Amino acid sequence: MPGSCEAAITLTGDLHARPAGALAVAAAGFSAATELVVGAHKADARSVLGIMGLGATSGQQVIIRAAGPDATEAVTALIDILAGATAVGT
Amino acid sequence: MDTEAKVGIVLVSHSAALAQGTAELAGQIGGGSVPIATAGGTDDDGIGTSIAKVERALRLADAGAGVLILPDLGSSVLTVRALLAEAADLPEPLAVADAPFVEGAVAATVTAAAGGDIAAVLKAAQEARHARKL
Repeated sequence: MPGSCEAAITLTGDLHARPAGALAVAAAGFSAATELVVGAHKADARSVLGIMGLGATSGQQVIIRAAGPDATEAVTALIDILAGATAVGT
Repeated sequence: MDTEAKVGIVLVSHSAALAQGTAELAGQIGGGSVPIATAGGTDDDGIGTSIAKVERALRLADAGAGVLILPDLGSSVLTVRALLAEAADLPEPLAVADAPFVEGAVAATVTAAAGGDIAAVLKAAQEARHARKL
């Protein structure tokens, strides 16, 4: 029975290219479908160009949604990357 | 998935600097695990393309899982096609992407880094055409 999971994080820095790449590589490692939601826009977490196209900046809230057998693990991993990467503004 | 060989990327550009810079950017965004080789400029390093450079880059980028070739402009495709028509013992499988150069290189590299096969890497590069940046 596939599960679903959702968590939010407020960015402490802009979401730049390198963390976008790290998110996409990590998302592809899970079987769950994952997406990032910023305001009215969303992107497939496996799409580095989609993530960069969100133009997410410091202070904005990013919601990570996942659906699939490893949804919880996927959300945890992606939130960790966002927390680590944007904190230093890379 | 991580222990398997990654699909390699070959960037074919009329400009050595453009190919090199794009490789550097894609490599950083992709985390550095994907073999990316460049074939930029003519044999005497002018603006243009070189069959010999493309062939060398194909062999450098081959880690056993195949190689995706990204040409910068249409006429780079002629050089790639000329090589594919005449060369023997090239890496397999090979695919040529019809994609924007920078976005295609980044998307292909990230998908290869995640363990995608040649079909997935080609699709990622070609889907880059539809990605909005604004």
